[in-house]
Amino acid sequence: MKLLDLKQKTVEEAAALLGVDPKAAALERFAAIGLPTKKSEEYRYFQIEKLFEKAYRTLSYVPHPIEESDKIVITDGMVTHAPKGMRIYYEQCQAIDMEHFDPLYYLGHLLSPHVIKIDLDGDADVEIEHRYTQSGALINYRIVLLNQANRHSTLFESFHAEDISDTLVLYGYDIFVAPDSTLRMLKNQNMHDNRYAMVASHRFKLDQRANAVIKSFDMGEDMGLQLIKAELDRYAHIDAGHLLYLNNEAQRGTVSKIIHKGEYATSHQEAKNILDGHSRGIFDALIKVEHSAKYTKAHQNSKAILLDERAYMAAKPQLEIYIDELEASHGSTTGQLDPKQLFYLRSRGISEVEARKMLVIAFANTLIEQVKDHRHQELIKQTFDEAFYR
Amino acid sequence: MKTLEIKDVHAKIGEKEILKGLNLELEPGKVHAIMGPNGAGKSTLSKTIVGHYDVEVTEGDILYKGKSILEMEPEERALEGIFLSFQHPVEIPGVNNAYFLRTALNAKRKHEGKEELNAAEFLREMKKYLEMLGMKADMISRSLNEGFSGGEKKRNEILQMLMLEPEVIILDEIDSGLDIDALRAVSEGINMMKDGKRSFLVITHYSRILDYIKPDYIHVLKDGRIIKTAGPELVAQLEEEGYESIEEEA
Amino acid sequence: MAQEEINKAVSGEYALGFEIDIETDVVPPGLNEDTIRFISKKKDEPEWMLELRLKAFEKWKKMEEPHWAHLTYDSIDYQSISYFAAPKKGPESLDEVDPKILEAYKKLGIPLEEQKQLAGVAVDAVVDSVSVKTTYTEELNKHGIIFCSISEAIRDYPELVKKYMFSVVPMTDNFYAALNSAVFTDGTFVYIPKGVRCPMELSTYFRINALNTGQFERTLIVADEGSYVSYNEGCSAPTRDENQLHAAVVELVAMKDAEIKYSTIQNWYPGDENGKGGIYNFVTKRGICEGDNSKISWTQVETGSAVTWKYPSCILKGDNSVGEFYSVAVTTLAQQADTGTKMIHLGKNTSSTIISKGISAMKGQNTYRGLVKIGANAHGARNYSECDSLLIGDQCGAHTFPYLESKDIHGQVEHEATTSKISDEQLFYLRQRGIDEESAVSMIVHGFCKEVFSQLPMEYAVEAKALLELTLEGSVG
Repeated sequence: MKLLDLKQKTVEEAAALLGVDPKAAALERFAAIGLPTKKSEEYRYFQIEKLFEKAYRTLSYVPHPIEESDKIVITDGMVTHAPKGMRIYYEQCQAIDMEHFDPLYYLGHLLSPHVIKIDLDGDADVEIEHRYTQSGALINYRIVLLNQANRHSTLFESFHAEDISDTLVLYGYDIFVAPDSTLRMLKNQNMHDNRYAMVASHRFKLDQRANAVIKSFDMGEDMGLQLIKAELDRYAHIDAGHLLYLNNEAQRGTVSKIIHKGEYATSHQEAKNILDGHSRGIFDALIKVEHSAKYTKAHQNSKAILLDERAYMAAKPQLEIYIDELEASHGSTTGQLDPKQLFYLRSRGISEVEARKMLVIAFANTLIEQVKDHRHQELIKQTFDEAFYR
Repeated sequence: MKTLEIKDVHAKIGEKEILKGLNLELEPGKVHAIMGPNGAGKSTLSKTIVGHYDVEVTEGDILYKGKSILEMEPEERALEGIFLSFQHPVEIPGVNNAYFLRTALNAKRKHEGKEELNAAEFLREMKKYLEMLGMKADMISRSLNEGFSGGEKKRNEILQMLMLEPEVIILDEIDSGLDIDALRAVSEGINMMKDGKRSFLVITHYSRILDYIKPDYIHVLKDGRIIKTAGPELVAQLEEEGYESIEEEA
Repeated sequence: MAQEEINKAVSGEYALGFEIDIETDVVPPGLNEDTIRFISKKKDEPEWMLELRLKAFEKWKKMEEPHWAHLTYDSIDYQSISYFAAPKKGPESLDEVDPKILEAYKKLGIPLEEQKQLAGVAVDAVVDSVSVKTTYTEELNKHGIIFCSISEAIRDYPELVKKYMFSVVPMTDNFYAALNSAVFTDGTFVYIPKGVRCPMELSTYFRINALNTGQFERTLIVADEGSYVSYNEGCSAPTRDENQLHAAVVELVAMKDAEIKYSTIQNWYPGDENGKGGIYNFVTKRGICEGDNSKISWTQVETGSAVTWKYPSCILKGDNSVGEFYSVAVTTLAQQADTGTKMIHLGKNTSSTIISKGISAMKGQNTYRGLVKIGANAHGARNYSECDSLLIGDQCGAHTFPYLESKDIHGQVEHEATTSKISDEQLFYLRQRGIDEESAVSMIVHGFCKEVFSQLPMEYAVEAKALLELTLEGSVG
């Protein structure tokens, strides 16, 4: 199918095209927002239409028997491996966010006959590997994730694509972070060779005093965008970090909206962008503080380094504030490596190339080293090195 | 007549009662030191006198020159002559230090029916004190307390006191964060203000400042009440034995 | 401080809310080709101008009203607006100026009869749509400076107008610019010849007066090589119940080594605390640094209007050219402002500075929206942006939407933003020193805006401060 066919369609027309119930609530929202175009604010810097123009094979999603493994493996949208005792179900999605900003969030739900629901038990430490094996396909799936109150779980996401080409992946999470719990999510992705493009559309709902730590390490040279909506209840805290290391024709980044709904919630968001080649980095992040969210603390920062004449950074840090009892700030810088630092290293006998590498790695490490678990940190460093020395 | 009379004042911050029937009288020309352990209510006492928004007085009265001030706005109390040197003076970006002080001084002069000072007259006055306090001339052009060091902030408080010539002077932990030079300069400023009429209320946790500003009376504040009043000789006892040794006077 | 008191303090009654009663020449409401022909005829315009207007009108009809700004307001019925109003009397000298107009100016603080004594300030006063009086023309003529109404310029300097009008803001740039291009009634034209430093501040006061009359000024300022000019625009309008539309266009052209400083004080009727009445202000202002080493500096103090949609911008085309934007925007009552700037870096070593201070009180909504774009060939381009918001009360909003796009490896883009409120501690400190509450609020707000006020020409800085006090305090000033 060609997603462009969905452009400017009525609810009935879209229902027929997608083969879904015209009364589906998600359909109404999708039709109301419409398929994103280059004029859509959220896709302003990402050439989404290029992806919509292609014709993709659609896949059928039939549950497989699940093999035992030390991690959850989702192959082309279906769970194929999982650790023993892991609670994973396929089910109709019960709780679609009716206020999400992203039309592809709704499209994702419409295209998925069921969602993969994962219940995290206790202080779980789980890895999810996303595997893609199909060329020229539209791979579509959604995951619902729940953790338990007062527990601290970690989710490490990795991506593996076989030697495929021209595939589009639409996936995303609906995540409910329970009261007094911590959910740590690490995304480690290195896309290259035009194997697949990805639009990931997530929604996080943080209950009272919930903590979410979301760190994405995004490297490579293809097209990929993650859209994140997060809602914070009273005393909830979110710590989001995004590393981009892009090269060649990559077009990658984050579009996020963090919404403070309850009092005393705090948010901290930090982006580090390193852009080489003809790449384009995107950081379009809004922090919204609603009238009910007194005593909010919200801080946001983006730093970008351009390494090539042709690289392009689009930064849009935004604050939307409806209350005066708060603390909020944001900052953004785009520039090159600090000539003073470069000179200092060179004056100590280090070659310019080596000195540049040192500084780039140091810049990336400020985020990578925030990952506390050593095994995870090593994996991310390894991915970074692969991308960096490719 | 007493300059300030605090009569059985009960005051709370939020839901918590901090002052629990405090009595205190300030005499003209005298230096009163309030000493007490952490959490005794020392800072609340100073806030109560100047009408801070945190404090709610639930019982009792405060008389200044025989008149109740509890219903007065903070600026009215200031114009009448009550001055607080803040423990932590707040920074106000973009508000010029000299401009602020001239506004305050002219508000006071106007209140007293005097003519306002023009910029030149004001600067002449101010420069005199700057030198005395060992303050840099650029203090005139900087923003109010912004980026000031601890010592600079306290000097700036004293500068304001010298210019505004108040009659009741409350010094809340004036010596905290001061090095020895700053402490000398600040004490010199304070001692200059002694004219036999003004009353001083020196609130302090440590006795060091009392080597520089000689108190006439020592009041021990504990658990929201003055539990003992004595002469300067009490300082030595407190130094040696601590606040625990003090028994409430009947 | 109690919220009620703050509200009282910040909702200063609109002191300029009076209406002068002059017989006005008003065309019936509505917009079609005939209206445009009527305007053009009234202005005694040459045929080529009429053709351009009609062309713009054709384009405008095909365009859609933009709705991307962070603003909510009732839709505008463009057919219910009257597009031309001019005072009937055409005064020859100051003595002939309608005394009621003079009275109005007196309330605005710019008595015309004293203007000649106003050192170094020439005023081209616009009441409604027609330039009433231009003074100091002779003095300026000596330097070869042209300072006249745009209508006169169209008649007397057609070559200059043809060359530069629409060169910075094309007639189809946006919906409101297209509308303005079709129906603009008057405005100002300034030309500074090569190497001339304009010896005085040039000013215009705009007023929107007649009921239901849209005001569509068009201003064009050209600074030729090596010249300098400082231009000030001040605005105010009488109290009015219906929303009035204002869609102005300002174009600035700075040639090699030239500098233009453009300052605005905008104080139009903001409407009431429920959002009733007030001016809709949709303005397109843009300057181009055409030549190397040129500079354009925008300074604005925006305290009025119910809805403001305004982004004074700089296209930095010449190498080493400089763009600046200094802004104070106050929204109180139910005002909404979506304002900011665009800095488009095209030339090498171009630099831009953005300092934006937003103050929101009561139900005011204040949005900074700015674009900084560093083109691929703008080697060594630099930008610094600082956007600070001050909130007074818990019903208002402050929003910061910067768009930062950098394509140059040697470029530097820096953006910082903070949001704060007037802290109780700061207020209390000032009050403890004997300064009353209103003065204390005003003092803190002035401190917050200081960087911007320091960019205004002296006499306007004084006016801006007074205006801010008026807007925020009511009883003070």
